[in-house]
Amino acid sequence: MRGDLARDLAGIVGERHVRVDDGALAAHARDATPLFEASPQAVVYPGSTAEVAEILRYATANRVPVVPRGGGSNLCAAAVPLHGGIVMVLTRLNEILEISREELLARVQPGVTTAALAAAAAEQGLLYAPDPGSHTVSTIGGNIATCAGGLRGLKYGVTRNYVLGLEAVLPTGEIIRTGGRLWKDVAGYDLTRLLTGSEGTLAVITEATVALLPKPKESGTGVAYFASLADASRAVTAVIAAGIVPATLEFLDHKCIAAVEEFARLGLRLDAGALLLFGDDGEADAVAANLDRIKGICADIGALEVTLAENVARADALLAARRCSLPALSRLGPLTVLEDVTVPRHRLAEMVDRIDEIADRYELRIATFGHAGDGNLHPTCVLDPHDHAAIERCHKAFAEIFSAAIALDGTITGEHGVGAAKLPYLEERLGADQVALLGRIKRAFDPAGILNPGKLGS
Amino acid sequence: MTHRPASDARPDAHAGEGRPAPASAGIFDPGLLDRCISCGFCLPVCPTYKLTGQETSSPRGRITLMRALEAGKLADGDPTLAEEASFCLGCRACETVCPAGVRYGELLEQWRDHQWRGRRRPLLARLLMAVVSRPGLLALQRLVRRYATGRGGPRRGAVPATAPTGSGTARSGGAPARDGAARPASLMLGCVERGLYPEVSRAVLRLRPELAVPGGQGCCGALHAHNGDSATGRELALKLGERLDGVIVTTAGGCAAHLAHHLGRERVAELSEYLERTGYRPAGEVRVGGRRARVALQDSCHLRNALGVTRPPRELIAAVADYVELPNAGDCCGAAGTYSLLRPADSRAVLDPKLEAIEAAGVDYVVALNPGCLRQLRQGLRRAGSKVRAIHLAELLAMAENGSTAR
Ligand SMILES: Cc1cc2nc3c(=O)[nH]c(=O)nc-3n(C[C@H](O)[C@H](O)[C@H](O)COP(=O)(O)OP(=O)(O)OC[C@H]3O[C@@H](n4cnc5c(N)ncnc54)[C@H](O)[C@@H]3O)c2cc1C
Ligand code: SF4
Ligand code: SF4
Repeated sequence: MRGDLARDLAGIVGERHVRVDDGALAAHARDATPLFEASPQAVVYPGSTAEVAEILRYATANRVPVVPRGGGSNLCAAAVPLHGGIVMVLTRLNEILEISREELLARVQPGVTTAALAAAAAEQGLLYAPDPGSHTVSTIGGNIATCAGGLRGLKYGVTRNYVLGLEAVLPTGEIIRTGGRLWKDVAGYDLTRLLTGSEGTLAVITEATVALLPKPKESGTGVAYFASLADASRAVTAVIAAGIVPATLEFLDHKCIAAVEEFARLGLRLDAGALLLFGDDGEADAVAANLDRIKGICADIGALEVTLAENVARADALLAARRCSLPALSRLGPLTVLEDVTVPRHRLAEMVDRIDEIADRYELRIATFGHAGDGNLHPTCVLDPHDHAAIERCHKAFAEIFSAAIALDGTITGEHGVGAAKLPYLEERLGADQVALLGRIKRAFDPAGILNPGKLGS
Repeated sequence: MTHRPASDARPDAHAGEGRPAPASAGIFDPGLLDRCISCGFCLPVCPTYKLTGQETSSPRGRITLMRALEAGKLADGDPTLAEEASFCLGCRACETVCPAGVRYGELLEQWRDHQWRGRRRPLLARLLMAVVSRPGLLALQRLVRRYATGRGGPRRGAVPATAPTGSGTARSGGAPARDGAARPASLMLGCVERGLYPEVSRAVLRLRPELAVPGGQGCCGALHAHNGDSATGRELALKLGERLDGVIVTTAGGCAAHLAHHLGRERVAELSEYLERTGYRPAGEVRVGGRRARVALQDSCHLRNALGVTRPPRELIAAVADYVELPNAGDCCGAAGTYSLLRPADSRAVLDPKLEAIEAAGVDYVVALNPGCLRQLRQGLRRAGSKVRAIHLAELLAMAENGSTAR
């Protein structure tokens, strides 16, 4: 089987771009999600849309599963080949095809990293707004497939808000172009939005047209320390209630502060219960005024200390440190199970209390950080990988955390997606009728069920 | 509500396949491998990943391979394991960006120990290791030189056959430096450098005549540690530590990092660090064609990535010339110890973008901090027909002392 597959795929992409050796299969058995692992039978690196189409036609004809993959930084096991088959890595398709200042858009291949697109846009005085913490490794294809959020989500929204058009290949091999270069276009069902966040289960994205913005003139960042995460949450609610929508409102609890500090050595205060990182961009006066008002609000809530970053380098360092929260946490214990729940912003403090209560009850160490401004929390359980009993308790605790989020009008994932990790909880969030509809949509796109099986729509 | 308990969410077919590993082969330190969370932050800085774009030749991919080896999921003789263990440059750029603090350099040593145990280690590496670990075998060091300069025959210009070999006893026991720092210090004569570039040590002694130069130094063992023989690597480092008094001053980034790992950071100073610490102020400057020379730096990977030394060499260059920062000064040059001998094609591919950047920078000299890098840059520049010359930091500073107007 392996030999046939290798030969057939080599016939499409050339021998150099197919791997069936045990090492390559082992290396593609997982993404950044702990506890999920399954080997494919082949790894293929297509070099063009036509090759993607041919591979998919072949896979449908032969009923071989295909899992698209970008940077492999996914956190819900969406890129793990649960049913084996082919892992299709799209990083060879990594050209920025066009950046238009007149139209404020970029046309890119899916394997371009988020950071590379952002840098190319910045060179033209433009901003690609979505900004996931993983931006140096995650790809635009992966970002669109997961509808990635990020550190600027509060003011600028998530990836979905920037996708104007897609070229994608259906599992049966047809190449479609959805949307285009227009902000206004309502011809037909909105397939661009349907494919955005479809987690590689409906089609393979081979090109994207994304909206850019003029680059803000100035930006600024500040840090507020609080006695507890609940206090920091209250500050978030107060900021929003005051009518301020800054670009960034991120928080870390004391466990995260300690871990990040160990890695980044920024002189963060280790005695605080929580840290709120706030930032804004725009005209210089407006930025300064907004940061000042946030400073005042934090002080009113009872912040232990509020400081503004004195320069860009310091602000960049703070943001970079925040991006590293998850990997830095693994310094506390080698198994970090990170989750991704969102609640309405005014219920953040309640959710934080619930998480703490659940962690205590299950005797687990759960650190929490997140995109506070979006109500998006990442409770992260730090474990010993050899403590099976604790891992069991961790699964149960997260099941309760998901239910708690839903009970607070929230959701089971704010940005990482459903993948294989959250699939069992999807029905609790959407209801049986909607889950059944997803299944019918999936079958319309993928009658043979070859594209990323075991995930959404399965 | 159909709420399955989360444990069922883990598909049966794969139960037990993830961490924790069912069994372990004891190749790696327990705990070291566990640290990696597969975030992929290390991918963009890895030179071999840049070459192939494939997960297997990325740091994350290699760690996954090591895990598979440890868990017995990949066979001992697996060709991909062998290929990747040798394809990795060991530059440790991945460590500098890893937020989880994965100590990749140590993992690599353990991996190569296992991978190249006995016969599987490349013949050329074995030969070199045998030669350099015996102090005083100067004739054999000519062999090193022949291999190290490649098939292209002897280097242009006569290379003095001997380096300062030391006097057998410490010459001065480490007399105080100019600022009166009283701690004794010894100059280490790197085994490759001794054979290949004896002028480097001589230049150091011109700058710092008070350094003790004990004879019969032998090798520090870095070569062994990086080529799958950590035990000998450690033994040689400890022996050298006994032979040399006080702070060991080295002119090779790779040796510095290896020694610091085994003897402690305080025992080891790379030349630029030592010069700074002892208050060295260069006299004069380096001029080319009636103007101040334009000089760039190539960081030594191990100096930069393992020991974090980046500022002192830059400041020293800026004191004697116009310093030019290369956009990729921190990227590996592809020399990587024995790598350029064992994998010449890959080594060149890693070097090429650097040569382009050097050419584009319009410099007169590019300074290296390690004999391997020096050799790599010299060969590359010569091959490219460049006018730029690669020299060691010590040589540049000695030129400034002479009020040199080279060329
Ligand atoms: C440290 C860290 C920080 C993170 N921070 C954030 C954050 O702030 N916000 C956030 O939203 N996420 C974050 N993530 C999660 C992850 O980076 C995102 O989900 C990202 O969008 C995944 O992109 P990728 O290229 O790595 O995709 P992969 O992990 O390779 O794949 C993800 C999914 O997309 C599918 N896919 C990939 N490419 C294509 C394609 N061309 N066509 C169709 N389907 C495709 C895959 O099948 C899979 O289902 C973080 C992850 C880490 C490890
Ligand atoms: S950056 Fe560190 S934790 Fe992340 S994949 Fe690389 S080695 Fe592993
Ligand atoms: S040591 Fe260098 S070549 Fe090896 S994995 Fe790390 S970055 Fe890549």
